[in-house]
Amino acid sequence: MIMALEDFEAMQERCSNCLGCKWTPFDKIKSQRFGENCPSVCYYNFNTYSARGRFQLGLAIAKKEVEYTETVTEAVHECLACGLCDVSCKITRFNLEPLEHNLELKADAVKKGKTLPAQKPVLEALAKEKTMLVGKTKASRTKWADGLGLKDLSKEKGDVLFFPGCKFSYDEKLQKTAQSAVRILKKSGVDLGYMGSQDMCCAGRTLQMGFTEDFAKNAEANIALFKKAGVKTIVTPCSDCYHAFKRQYAKLGLEVEVLHTVEYLDRLIGQGKIKFTKSVPMNVTYHDPCHLGRLGEQYVPWNGTEKKILNQVHTWTPKRPRYNGAHGIYDAPRNVIKSIPGVNLTEMERIREYSWCCGAGGGCSDTSPEFSDWTASERITEANSTGAEAMVTACPWCESNFRKAVDENGKGINVLDIVELVEKAL
Amino acid sequence: MDGLKERLNAIVGRENVFDDEKSLALFSHDESFAKSMLPRFVVKAKNAEEVQKIVKLANEMKTPLIPVSSGGKRYRGDTVPSVPESIILDLSGMKKILNINRQQRVAMVEPGVTYGELIAALRKEGLTLSVPLTPKASKSVVASVLDMEPRLNSLHQWNFIDPLRCTEVVWGDGNRMYTGEAGGSPMDVEKQWSADKWQQSGTGPMMLDFYRLLTGSQGTMGIVTWASLKCDVDTKVHKLHFVASKKAEDLNDFVYRVLRLRFSNELMVMNGSYLAALLGESAEQVAALKAELPNWVALVGIAGRELLPEERVQYQEADISEIAQQFGLKLVPAVPGAKGDQVLEKIMNPSPEKYWKEGAKGSFQDIFFTTTIDKTPSFIAAMLSLADEFGFSASDIGTYIQPQNMGTSCHCEFSLFYDGGDKKQTAIAKKLFIAASEMFSAMGAYYLRPHGIWSRLQLNKDAQSAFLLKEVKNVFDPNNIMNTGKLSV
Amino acid sequence: MAFSNEMYQAFEAVVGKRNIARDLGIRETYRCAAAQSSAHYGPYNHRTPMPEAVLLPGSTEEVKNIVRLCNKYDVKFKASSTFWSAMGFITDDNGVQLDMRRMRSIEIDEKNMIAIVEPYAIGAVVQAEAMKVGLTLNVPGVGCSSSPLASTAGWVGFGPTSISMGCASENMLGAEWVLPNGEVLRTGSLGAGSGWFCGEGPGPSTRAILRGFQGSTGSLGVCTKMAIRLHPWPGPTHIPSRGVVPAYKADLPDNFKAYTLCFKTWDDYAKGLSLLHEAEILFLGHRQFNMFGRDIKTAMLKILTDPDGQLAEIPEYTADPELKKINDDMKIEIQVIIAGVTRRDTDYKEKVLDTVLEMSGGWKNQFMLEKDMMDYVLLYLIRLGHKNLNYALCGAYEGNYGLSGNMFVSAKVMEEAAALKRKWELEHTHIAAHGGDSDMGSISIIGGGGPTGWEYFTNFDAHDKASIKGTADFFNETQRWMTEKGLGVDMGHWNQDLRREDGYGFTQEQHDEMYVKLPQPLVTVYQYKVREIINPKHLCGSYYRTLTPSKYKG
Repeated sequence: MIMALEDFEAMQERCSNCLGCKWTPFDKIKSQRFGENCPSVCYYNFNTYSARGRFQLGLAIAKKEVEYTETVTEAVHECLACGLCDVSCKITRFNLEPLEHNLELKADAVKKGKTLPAQKPVLEALAKEKTMLVGKTKASRTKWADGLGLKDLSKEKGDVLFFPGCKFSYDEKLQKTAQSAVRILKKSGVDLGYMGSQDMCCAGRTLQMGFTEDFAKNAEANIALFKKAGVKTIVTPCSDCYHAFKRQYAKLGLEVEVLHTVEYLDRLIGQGKIKFTKSVPMNVTYHDPCHLGRLGEQYVPWNGTEKKILNQVHTWTPKRPRYNGAHGIYDAPRNVIKSIPGVNLTEMERIREYSWCCGAGGGCSDTSPEFSDWTASERITEANSTGAEAMVTACPWCESNFRKAVDENGKGINVLDIVELVEKAL
Repeated sequence: MDGLKERLNAIVGRENVFDDEKSLALFSHDESFAKSMLPRFVVKAKNAEEVQKIVKLANEMKTPLIPVSSGGKRYRGDTVPSVPESIILDLSGMKKILNINRQQRVAMVEPGVTYGELIAALRKEGLTLSVPLTPKASKSVVASVLDMEPRLNSLHQWNFIDPLRCTEVVWGDGNRMYTGEAGGSPMDVEKQWSADKWQQSGTGPMMLDFYRLLTGSQGTMGIVTWASLKCDVDTKVHKLHFVASKKAEDLNDFVYRVLRLRFSNELMVMNGSYLAALLGESAEQVAALKAELPNWVALVGIAGRELLPEERVQYQEADISEIAQQFGLKLVPAVPGAKGDQVLEKIMNPSPEKYWKEGAKGSFQDIFFTTTIDKTPSFIAAMLSLADEFGFSASDIGTYIQPQNMGTSCHCEFSLFYDGGDKKQTAIAKKLFIAASEMFSAMGAYYLRPHGIWSRLQLNKDAQSAFLLKEVKNVFDPNNIMNTGKLSV
Repeated sequence: MAFSNEMYQAFEAVVGKRNIARDLGIRETYRCAAAQSSAHYGPYNHRTPMPEAVLLPGSTEEVKNIVRLCNKYDVKFKASSTFWSAMGFITDDNGVQLDMRRMRSIEIDEKNMIAIVEPYAIGAVVQAEAMKVGLTLNVPGVGCSSSPLASTAGWVGFGPTSISMGCASENMLGAEWVLPNGEVLRTGSLGAGSGWFCGEGPGPSTRAILRGFQGSTGSLGVCTKMAIRLHPWPGPTHIPSRGVVPAYKADLPDNFKAYTLCFKTWDDYAKGLSLLHEAEILFLGHRQFNMFGRDIKTAMLKILTDPDGQLAEIPEYTADPELKKINDDMKIEIQVIIAGVTRRDTDYKEKVLDTVLEMSGGWKNQFMLEKDMMDYVLLYLIRLGHKNLNYALCGAYEGNYGLSGNMFVSAKVMEEAAALKRKWELEHTHIAAHGGDSDMGSISIIGGGGPTGWEYFTNFDAHDKASIKGTADFFNETQRWMTEKGLGVDMGHWNQDLRREDGYGFTQEQHDEMYVKLPQPLVTVYQYKVREIINPKHLCGSYYRTLTPSKYKG
């Protein structure tokens, strides 16, 4: 099991500098303007910022040929952990894990005390207030749930946990969306609970930032609480939390069904339990959140051995899960959108497993706001190029980042959570 | 006085060294407006060894050398001496077809081989060669391809300088080498053939494109003593059709579309005057044809080779006909004054001994350059306007537009037909020639083949290239003996 | 002169603070690990020299000023567009690396079928932009992640579509080039401002000094812009595709067909390919999937077209008797694409193809006719976006043998070459044992049919030092065989005379020793003399082959 940067040496040496990690899967490129995939190398330009560059940098750091200067520290942390390099790489490679390596590089930096100033208050807030949103308090975390009639799973048992995550809990605009989601699900007959006073951050972002110990600590605490409450299904409207539970918590032993709100909505619509009564004549485009799409695949336990066949063909036995985005959640949101009367969906060029990141990931919205904003701006440009009136998405981090962004001509776009869109038709 | 004649005699034999007035006079001028100057000797070489010895001698004695491969009248001025005491090195007697390889579709020829000679030999092996429009009877194939004369089938111009492939060259410094893939093996073609190497790839060898220093160079870099040429499989069915129009620009979109679909073999546009000159066997016939033929016509050749030739011709005829219709035009097998097979025969074969352009009025001057098809209407309009200013009749201007390089550019040519025996006409033709050349240059025409005054016009606008080419010439011809004075600013 | 702070500041003034770096960590990522992608040099277990600084120029003017400074301070430099393979990396200490990624513009003249591109406009995006107006380009065999400009200016640039479109050199039109002496050369029609449409001339061609059979691999300055010929694309404005990653498949109309043509013997193969050269019906011709190896190519196709496919399944697939039959059927094969521009054109091309097969005893493999497989192959070969499968088996590959040239000659020795490789696979463990024959390559490296461009794919592990060394040993063995057969330089050694085993450039003396032995050393004497004109300070490394004139004894 890989534990340290040094354990990645074989991988670092097997990267072939094929350039795939800098581009959307080539088969899918429809234009130059929207052909690239890695916001980090696109913004900073030096090869260092690509997954390939990080492999080289990681190897040099592990061999102590390069030290963590200010530049190197920043470069290491200025990765959105969006995973698109990983998808592109795995089109043609079976034995490289660029995302895992990028995260391990961050973890190595953190282990060695090489962090960015803006990360400190975030981790302090997590420790003290159980949220990664600086300035927010534990005391006000669950105010959004007042009056919704949710079962309090800190006091009683329940099958289905509604987990909004920090953004939906604290952001005033987003709180309304969370409330809508709860109402819609409850109306459809779902017996929903929430963690009450024990509700706390999933800490998924700590992993994206390299703070592996903080993640493990918070995750284990949450897992214990969920077990105690008898939770069998977690429903969350937040893609970050979704990925955290489905992939990372599962690694640590969480054995529950994890659903994004949009998956549940898709299910309920399919079962006829949600009926639309209004037409919503709107031309929209859909942004696939990284952590729902390509990073939304289920963790699959695997215990096997590495081996070479045919002398040098490097593989594992039994077959290892690939985590290449093949089984991410792309169709559920699209089914939901297409089922709403009057809505017309026009796709952007970079969609599904090769969707461009919103810029909020990897902790970069805290540590590198210009880079984060630029990334969002690129996406708004792409959305506006479709002619859509609104961009629909399924992640509060994406929504917040997009709401404050404008495209290259200074024009913004109306950003809707998919729940908001559904609500318009009820 | 300097012993040069004796040394030349020792190399080529006394019978191949000429300094009598008649022999010298033949090369002192040509049909262009280049200023005449007598050479000192005319020397006929028989092989590359003799050529090399002569070049070394010329270096030693700082004697200018002008290589000539074609026979008969000359028209471009590039073989008229620009400096005194030049030696004309006549290679027209080097007439060996050294090799034809059907399997590899390649032939190797010496500089004196003409189109007629080569094509007849190729046909026996089931091959043919891409040709320029009705070359003069004595035109050297090697000289023609080195001068980048435009080929009729631009779709077979994968490489701009097709069909030229490898060469054997004696550089101006007296060194001899092979260019292209031939330069990567021992300098012995028989050995290369035994190793099944057939001089197919012309670039390089290595990082310098040696043969591109020879093309367009008018013999100022070195002397080619053999060239390998890419051949085509001979045609089994070959037809020519016309698309006529009142205005040249109305044909452009049709031509673009045909090229875009990669249809046709030969494809070109010419005006009635040019086609009349091509077809007419006398001045009277040319005049009569001018009245009959359409103003403008696209010539569309369609060929089938060994595999399903009839089907190829049939389907392309049908498809190209539909394309013509889309543009309100018609693909027809004949037009008033000309039939397809008649014209095909003409364009694909060398001219009779009297070069066809002399048939219209006795003399002619060509102005040609490279541009893109969409720009040709403006050049045509400018030419006619200028001709009018000079009192030169529009009907005595032949225009020929030849798409090149798979349609990305075209050769644009104006032939001024006039009576060379009439001093007034000649004077007007000369003034018009110069004025038009300058005008086109100012309009952005590209004198890719900068003969005569075009050299100054082109290189004066391109100081960087001029300087670099001069420096490069110093490498290959350090004593500046190769066609001294040509291609200078 | 050692690289100083003052020099750094001077460079910084040219490109701006944001576009220059001196941090060791940044510079480290601009060294090539020669085991990973050496490109016909190596493989070796080292990295190329460390640059003093990395610069990202954004315009020709900036490049010019950088080069001026390099001349002033005697600083070596090399530019690379994408950094694929060792060629673009510097060869000496005291050098700066130019990363051309900021220069990426594409302009298309649709009517005249020309694209004007900058270095970082990679094949995939040029193709995507060209397809919008019904055009495409020759994507070099290295794949669409490479730069067409770099391929033309720097290397050879033939690919699967060269049969119909020509190779890089043939598609080259006007170019803009910053020479090592700091002057800007504009070639062909561009020189006098007539436009980009003609790459030849004026008179003798200035482009002649910049690239020949191959380009100058960054050793003669920096090409900053180039016009290339485009070609018709009789398809939609983008390639529609379906499928789950990575098994994407094209949804093209039925005027596009991909076939795997199989032959009984190598002689039949050569005959069939030669007929195809003459038939003028192919959009594309490339032996692609054999690169995985004769024994496992069908297994790999199964794996690649299954979203959950993994290399661990190779043994299972190769043991499947039905799949083995298909694999054996495809022992001697090539992939071709027909793209009809009209219905009649499509029908004619299909008919001619069938005639060629009849005449050469060939057939279309049935497995490859299944819709999903054909659509996978169409997308793969047209976009050429999976070329990095070169690396899929182990992580590193190198092309060797290089049985290019006359296909009738190559055909006769293919089995012997395959057997030699197979023997090595079985007797040693350094290279992947995938069946000996792993030949891949274009039906023609030039337009209209001519020499072929075939290379064997040798796969090894860049992490395994024994594998790296063993592969280099294998290439020595294949070179011995090539020499014995009179077949010239093994492809694995093509660049061995351009960069030393330690990653550094050769000295003039070392080059003199090599090139005086060439069959025609004059070639390198002239290259020396031309270099002295435009690169008198020798600032761009030793990838340019030169022989000191005084050493030539011709």
